[in-house]
Amino acid sequence: MSHIIELQNVWKRYDTGGEVVEALRDVDFHADPGEFVSVMGPSGSGKSTMLNVLGLLDTPTEGTVFLDDRDVTDLSDRQMTARRKEFIGFIFQSFHLIPTLSALENVEVPTLFGDDPAARDRATTLLERVGLGNRLDHRPDQLSGGQKQRVAIARALINEPRILLADEPTGNLDQETGRSVLDLFDEIRREDDVAIVAVTHDPQLSDYTDRTVELVDGRIQ
Amino acid sequence: MNPLQELLRRVPALLMARRNLSRNRIRSGLAILGIIIGVLAIASLGMFGTTLRTGADQQLGDIGNEISISPNLQEGVEELTDRDVDEIRRAVSDGAVVPIRSDAVLVSRGDQQTVTTIYGMENPGAIYEASDGRVPDRLRQGALVGSGTAELLDIEPGNTIAVDGRTYRVSAVLAEQQGISLVNPNSAVVLPMEDVNGTGYSQVVVSAESGQAANESAVAIREELNEREERVTVFELQSITAGIDQFFGILNTFLIGIGSISLVVAGVSILNVMLMSTIERRQEIGVLRAVGVQRGDIIRMILAEAGLLGTAGGIVGALFALGAGVALNSFVLNDPMATFQPINFFYVALAVGFGIATSILSGLYPAWKAANERPVEALRK
Ligand SMILES: Nc1ncnc2c1ncn2[C@@H]1O[C@H](COP(=O)(O)OP(=O)(O)O)[C@@H](O)[C@H]1O
Ligand SMILES: [Mg+2]
Repeated sequence: MSHIIELQNVWKRYDTGGEVVEALRDVDFHADPGEFVSVMGPSGSGKSTMLNVLGLLDTPTEGTVFLDDRDVTDLSDRQMTARRKEFIGFIFQSFHLIPTLSALENVEVPTLFGDDPAARDRATTLLERVGLGNRLDHRPDQLSGGQKQRVAIARALINEPRILLADEPTGNLDQETGRSVLDLFDEIRREDDVAIVAVTHDPQLSDYTDRTVELVDGRIQ
Repeated sequence: MNPLQELLRRVPALLMARRNLSRNRIRSGLAILGIIIGVLAIASLGMFGTTLRTGADQQLGDIGNEISISPNLQEGVEELTDRDVDEIRRAVSDGAVVPIRSDAVLVSRGDQQTVTTIYGMENPGAIYEASDGRVPDRLRQGALVGSGTAELLDIEPGNTIAVDGRTYRVSAVLAEQQGISLVNPNSAVVLPMEDVNGTGYSQVVVSAESGQAANESAVAIREELNEREERVTVFELQSITAGIDQFFGILNTFLIGIGSISLVVAGVSILNVMLMSTIERRQEIGVLRAVGVQRGDIIRMILAEAGLLGTAGGIVGALFALGAGVALNSFVLNDPMATFQPINFFYVALAVGFGIATSILSGLYPAWKAANERPVEALRK
């Protein structure tokens, strides 16, 4: 098997005071290194839930999650956190940068709590790579939306992950800025052999993806 | 890179904590102010206690360092002999031994006269100081006059007085003894030993270097002189000063207890500040968890924040407290340097330690709460 991440028969149910919401219904999914997969579907169809399960932020009610061919469904919080750090980079619609830290420090955040003396050099190189070599010491409120998302991408890459998970990465950007972020994704998955799974409403994403997965009411179509 | 930056890089929890605190300066400042007040209260009340004790010690003088040996009248011993004095000298390793012979006679100057106690002493300098004139180490001639007698008969050094018919030149007027004293000279006259009638001694005073040395001498003298029969009674004022010390110890504990209440209030305010700031930063903490920061690191980060608030408040509070101590001691004791004694540094350290500990304790619940929030929940909009 060459899948870097895989979901088998995954169900996610939320018990909201009597009424049970089935956010994911018997989902099978996988992504391979270097592959760019988009997940599309109407609001409330379970896209974010699926991404959270893929990113080891949430555990399925039923079914199995494999990461790098290992069953990671029932790991402890500590082990899941360690796996996230090692394998997964997150990119959020609203960037989620830490406002008190500079661009460089934001990129370093995933390495801060650990002994990693080379992190600063890697962070600098990554910011140069995403075109922000001259913005290292700027704080997030001194950056435009597109620049913030680039910092977030650099942060997601700092630990050399195998998978990038992006929830509406272009949702808060204008079309042109969105396109430049997607160009960056394309470069990353080709050069770094990283699997990218992006949830989106953005039709221009299909120009870049290998595959599109449709979710409706928690089921893959 | 300066050492502070170096430290912040080494300890990321501190770096994050410092940045977070600078985010809402007014709020952090108010939390620090609470700790400052608490630390100031504890440290300055502790130092206030020290000042009271020092003042009281000044009033008591060296009395705890002196012991008095007198003949045991109940056993029929009327007076102490030269042999007794020799034995006392042998028993006392460190301190001046002052044998005293006393009598009551008529003292006159000009046409004024009064009956007073007279003490014969060879070395009154070991226990008395002059307010006017000079007390010789060995008293061979001349008289020393107590302050009360001097006032009554209007005597100054250099005057001539008649004691029991003999004339003396006055060498000194003795300083007034306030409070308790083993041999109160105020209304007495001190003469050379051989000028007082008798052969024995009514009392022997031992003046040691410290309360502890006095106590050791007392034990040794009892062993030496009371071996076969209870020849002498030994009186120590140390028991009184020990009681006074104990009283001030209790007073200090009480004062510090009152100060601690304000620190508890400061702790509640830190708890409130930390809780508010972690709730505001819910999403950020969720992001940290998502990118692989462990729960323990979140806890350390928030405890570092609380600890920084406590340390900043503690340091400023300690400086204020030392300032308050200097003001108090220059006002009450006329000696601002009395602030800088070990016991006061102990109180300041105690207060700072309490301040930091209170802050960190108050950070525990917010830290625990933030670390245990599931990142998915924190990141949901
Ligand atoms: N924590 C939760 N508690 C209850 N219901 C939830 C929770 N998270 C998601 N849901 C529900 O699950 C469904 C899927 O949500 P989500 O994955 O966020 O959809 P999408 O991202 O596609 O808009 C929705 O009906 C949503 O209300
Ligand atoms: Mg969503």
